[in-house]
Amino acid sequence: MKQDKQQESKQNKEQYAKVGDKKSPAILRFINRKWLNVWKGNPPGPVLLLIGLFVAFVMSVPILYVIWRSLSAGADSWMRLLGDRIPGLLWNTLSLTGAVTFSAVLIGVSLAWIVVRTDLPGKKVWQWMMALPLVIPPYVGAVTYIIVFGPSGWARDLWQEITWLNNLFGGYPVNIYSFWGVFTVLTLFTYPYVFLIASASLRKMNRNFEEVARSQGMTTSQIFFKVNLPLLRPAIGAGAILISLYVLSDFGAIAMLRYVTFTAAIYYQRAGFDIPSASVLSLVLIVLTIIILWIEARTRRKNKYYQTSNTYKEPDTLSLGKWKPLAVLYVAGVFTVAVILPISVLIYWTVIGATAGTIDARFFGFAWNSIKVSGLAAILCMVLATPIIYLKSRHPSAISTVIDKLSYAGYALPGVIVALGMVFIFNNHIPALYNTFYMIAIAFVVRFLPQAMQSGEASLSLVSPRMDEAARSLGYPAWKVMIKVIIPTILPGILAGGALVFVSSIKELPATLMLRPPGFDTLAVRVYYEASEALYHQAAPGALLIVLVSIIPLHYLLRKY
Amino acid sequence: MKKVLMFLLLAVLSLGILAACGGNENNDTADNAGENAANENNDVNNNEEAVELDGELVVYSARNEQFVQALLDKFTEETGVEVRALHEADPLQLQEEAGNVQADVFISNDLGALEYLNQQDLLEGFDPENVESIDEQFRAENNEWIAISARARGFIYNKDMISEDEMPTQMEDLLDPEWAEVENGYAITRGGNGGMIGNVSALRYEWGDERTTEWINSIQENAAGIFEGHGDIRRAVGAGEHAFGLVNNYYYHQQLEEPTDNNVGFIYTDQGEGEMGAIANAAGLGLVSGAPNDENARAFIEWVLEEENQLAFVGDSLEVPINPDLEPPYEEAVPFSELKVQDMPLKELGNYFQDTRALIEDAGLDLELR
Repeated sequence: MKQDKQQESKQNKEQYAKVGDKKSPAILRFINRKWLNVWKGNPPGPVLLLIGLFVAFVMSVPILYVIWRSLSAGADSWMRLLGDRIPGLLWNTLSLTGAVTFSAVLIGVSLAWIVVRTDLPGKKVWQWMMALPLVIPPYVGAVTYIIVFGPSGWARDLWQEITWLNNLFGGYPVNIYSFWGVFTVLTLFTYPYVFLIASASLRKMNRNFEEVARSQGMTTSQIFFKVNLPLLRPAIGAGAILISLYVLSDFGAIAMLRYVTFTAAIYYQRAGFDIPSASVLSLVLIVLTIIILWIEARTRRKNKYYQTSNTYKEPDTLSLGKWKPLAVLYVAGVFTVAVILPISVLIYWTVIGATAGTIDARFFGFAWNSIKVSGLAAILCMVLATPIIYLKSRHPSAISTVIDKLSYAGYALPGVIVALGMVFIFNNHIPALYNTFYMIAIAFVVRFLPQAMQSGEASLSLVSPRMDEAARSLGYPAWKVMIKVIIPTILPGILAGGALVFVSSIKELPATLMLRPPGFDTLAVRVYYEASEALYHQAAPGALLIVLVSIIPLHYLLRKY
Repeated sequence: MKKVLMFLLLAVLSLGILAACGGNENNDTADNAGENAANENNDVNNNEEAVELDGELVVYSARNEQFVQALLDKFTEETGVEVRALHEADPLQLQEEAGNVQADVFISNDLGALEYLNQQDLLEGFDPENVESIDEQFRAENNEWIAISARARGFIYNKDMISEDEMPTQMEDLLDPEWAEVENGYAITRGGNGGMIGNVSALRYEWGDERTTEWINSIQENAAGIFEGHGDIRRAVGAGEHAFGLVNNYYYHQQLEEPTDNNVGFIYTDQGEGEMGAIANAAGLGLVSGAPNDENARAFIEWVLEEENQLAFVGDSLEVPINPDLEPPYEEAVPFSELKVQDMPLKELGNYFQDTRALIEDAGLDLELR
């Protein structure tokens, strides 16, 4: 109560300072009461609030700028794009998104079911092995698939050597530079998202439901479709959203496999400095993203599946019986094409590259650039995420919700759009930072801050607000509570978040490509350039390094789901 | 296990901090040094001619990194100036940055782009030493840009798949859909490519817009492969992925130098009686007006004009040097004097640049890849 009074009098003074004597005290008191109502009587300190508002502003500004630019692009640009370009791009993008999402869900759920619920040999090991494709960024995966299945790839050589294949089917039939090439690569390197979420959900599933179903005479497959699948629906939905958002935003794999979606088109338009067209296409992509997020929010509200936890029994393990060899073949097959094949191709070319001396001072310079810019982004994210999650969890209100939601804006949207906005803003309004690597780091913060927030929030939710209150009652001011009590307790969570941001930044391609200053190439940029010049022995060491770094947060991801 | 992981994370992140701080200092000091050096150079230069160069140089290049990086490294080695390069930059980036100039020198493989920038007052002329070694038709009026190496458009073809007399010989042959029928078809680049823009500009000069649009639509529909760059085309044709492809002549030279997949031939287009002649273009460089490291930029251009470095500019690209006194680095290259070349003055390309891009965009070729 005392606290509130203090706050109140302070606010009174502030108001006075601002508006002078023109307003009557009655109005001031009214504003004050409203303000306290918004915060449910617990407003944050002005510094905390300012930081929160600042972050929210920075996070949303690139997107607002793109929207504004696209609306002022002029009817001309709009008509031309709407008539000729957007329908084709829409078809390319949506068909790919739909197909990849569908097949990734199919593969992810089926693998999760086999690995979690059946007596598959070595199921403990498979549980994390099936998640391994996550460490291979799709553009790296695309490179390895071009090396193996491309028109001059190893598979073609093999095909041409086997005469009966030639005689029977004619020339080498695989065209990796096609819809199906992109579809395959994206499916193989994104299905683990569904796999992880579905396995977590399957593990938590209560056996009682199944027992009831079985007592009613249902077969295992009937149970799967009538009991398991409906209970899995939230998990499938969450996985599908992740994957469709990913497909909408991917640039590297799609560009390498010569397919053009909205993201790629925006990149090319911006590379040719046709900014109005790039903005218009961006706006359409933003709308697509919002539609997907809206669908998710809607389905989540509509379908609630409750499982009672007080009678929880661990699900039993089903015997595969005669299906065992087939299941093993399936699981091992996916593992081969999604992990063994790309990794061995990378190792093969890395060895060639190493003997040819491509791992030289230049290479380490690129690696250093990657570490520098990603490290800076990770630190910034850790520093900025902490006040925001504190604000959200300790001072819940409409305002902190808005700040929280705005912080996710850059995360949901493709990197090309964020980069497009950053270029505008820095070139025209902050020229001192334009063309420095700070610009890339800030773009990474806009894109990946929510990763640090999520991981910090998980930690903070374990710290009772009573801890804060106890510290406050012992005479610490709010900022000291934060530094002395809260931060030390949630530090592991924040660091884990920082690591996630670090790895995402190392892998990031489109924003880095668009924003890199002259003479500042990162590993990801080099891999992209060298692979597109077919200099695989130069591209492979960098790609392998990126894969190795990506293993760091895998441990965290596996625990999270 | 957990402790080890935590430690690892901490290590990586503190490395990041160090890096960020370290990088910060480096950048600042480098920038300051560059400015100081430039200022000093200005002062000193008024008094005496020969000066030691210092600081840095920012080069935007529209060309492939492989053809330019060695030249830049050579400059750094000989002068000590640190070169920061942005490869495969679009000429319009200079226009976008006009209020906040970043680049000192722009290198392009399309004179249309250079002349366009010149017309927008984004380049600055001066009289570098030895500029007379380049014929006047390959320089802007006040040397705002200077071309160093020339190329001509034509078809690279795979001799295992198609013979010379089966090949198209003229640009207009591609109007005919029959070329989609050859085994594995033919390849072109995306319309955003500088070489393709120059090609389309030349056709517009020759034919006018209507026929050129028809031509764009035809290749867009009939090409079996549409690639990001010409390097992809020469590799694909060499490997037999496509029968032939529309490229610049030096890509043919490059493919001949490959250890494998090198059974390729080349057709210079439109060489017959009464035909327009091969479409030519050139690669060159220009001084960006308002360049932050103006002194270094001028020094770089003078350095490139030294005969030895004109050859280094040609470098691995295996183009033909414009300076007639220089031996082409690729010996079997057909000298321009023996070619029938389109009679358009190359400067003319600048007048077509912007409309050509609009034309390509309207056709949708700028975003087509396959």
